[in-house]
Amino acid sequence: MSGVVVAGGAMTPFNRRKDGSGMRDWARAAFFDAVSDARLEARDIDALVVASESDFFTLQLNPAALIADELGLFGIAAQRVEGGGASGHLAVHAGAAMVMAGRARRVAVLGLEPSASHLPGAAVGALYGLSFDAWTDGMTGVDATSLYALSVQAFMEETGAGQDDFAAIAVRNRGNARANPNAHLPLDIAAADVAASPVIAQPYRRLDCSPLSDGAACVILAGAAGLPDGGAGRARIAGMGVANDRVRLGERARPGRFEAKGVAMRRALAEAGATVSEIGLAEIYDSYSGAQLQALDGLGLREDVVRAEREGVFAADGALPVNLSGGLLGQGAPVGATGVAQVLACALQLEDRYFGRRVATPPRYALADTHGGVATLNAVSLLEGAR
Amino acid sequence: MKYRLTLDYTVPEGTLAPYFDALRQGRALAARCASCGTTSFPPRPVCGACGGREMAWQALTGRARVVRRADSENGAFALARFDGADELATVALANPAERQAAGRLVAPPDARPGLWLHLENEDDDHA
Repeated sequence: MSGVVVAGGAMTPFNRRKDGSGMRDWARAAFFDAVSDARLEARDIDALVVASESDFFTLQLNPAALIADELGLFGIAAQRVEGGGASGHLAVHAGAAMVMAGRARRVAVLGLEPSASHLPGAAVGALYGLSFDAWTDGMTGVDATSLYALSVQAFMEETGAGQDDFAAIAVRNRGNARANPNAHLPLDIAAADVAASPVIAQPYRRLDCSPLSDGAACVILAGAAGLPDGGAGRARIAGMGVANDRVRLGERARPGRFEAKGVAMRRALAEAGATVSEIGLAEIYDSYSGAQLQALDGLGLREDVVRAEREGVFAADGALPVNLSGGLLGQGAPVGATGVAQVLACALQLEDRYFGRRVATPPRYALADTHGGVATLNAVSLLEGAR
Repeated sequence: MKYRLTLDYTVPEGTLAPYFDALRQGRALAARCASCGTTSFPPRPVCGACGGREMAWQALTGRARVVRRADSENGAFALARFDGADELATVALANPAERQAAGRLVAPPDARPGLWLHLENEDDDHA
């Protein structure tokens, strides 16, 4: 068990910024609110881990040094972590490792991304193509939706999952987002709206896809001894796991299954000393509606996820509520901030102080799942509530 | 503020240079693992099946069958199995209006890297 406490955290709204604010403003807002939430002062922070997917988006190389300076932090250990869509979650792991190794007492993990406001959507899409194998995939002009579509087609064939299942997820996650004041797409929609939205790449339609968002999120990690009150009442990171898969989809034995997630999950469960049945809440990387089902399947959360989906297991009032934040589909996806926000949501839910739709009874464990590529680089964390 | 950045990369192709040279001529050059015999296309410098590092170039016919395809506003793409290859490859479809399930590798437009498949009837002879 890691024993790393999520001492506090905060996030900005995730959306397409139209208020004239910029990435540095969001970073400051998330950081200082997180420090305050942790009942600390900025001078208590001795390490900063910044997550940002791409310098193409931020137009800022060496962002950790810049952000530390912006925050008025000097003489601290600062680094940037990047792993595609998993950047924020991997940064949390890096921060936790610093605490566990005794190399820092209180680490701020700050994820940020101007995915929406800096560049036109087509330019962002072209850059995302380079997050697969740039030499064989990206330079053909392939887009993320097409690669996810090729993957989910195989999943549908093997499991019987259908577009109705995906539409139900697209509707539900947007509905969950309606209780989240930081959500990008809090929508009151029906399956018919999903079916009527334009086809992007079969089987995916516009409303099956997560948006490009701007925003930042921050968590403060520390050992209990590094906190004035020993971190009383706060959740801790009980287990972490990371695993990669083959980058090129066609080289996977089963292109429709997110198998490396299972490897990462088993590592996290082993570190936590937990079992799947003890997990009562999950924030899942739903870059696409079908990807949520593929992720739940890969993580091994249920034997038959399609059946579980149809039985309401993953609904807010189900046995395993998924994406009460709204997920990427509803809350939004400023890439570097996404995984940080997922971990934050899990911690706050376990502490029964989440700002959005709360789980009926906080469970013992909550799961955060994030990936880069088409589940190419997978990060999993199990958070445990204070007992 | 507005800021315009124009980038013009020159990327050395290293070990894979023979593959890219062939690709620019519309030829398929795979890598065959000396240890386990797995034939990879696109080629891998390290075998994905056994980790072997001794790979030999192997010419393929360039013909492939489309296993799955996805059409988007950015083009049409597919997972295809090239004759002689042990794994699927992601390809861009050069003539996306066609619906055939087979095709042959063609030189990429503008000498860009990536695999481009021209769909055609299986009995067409373009050798």
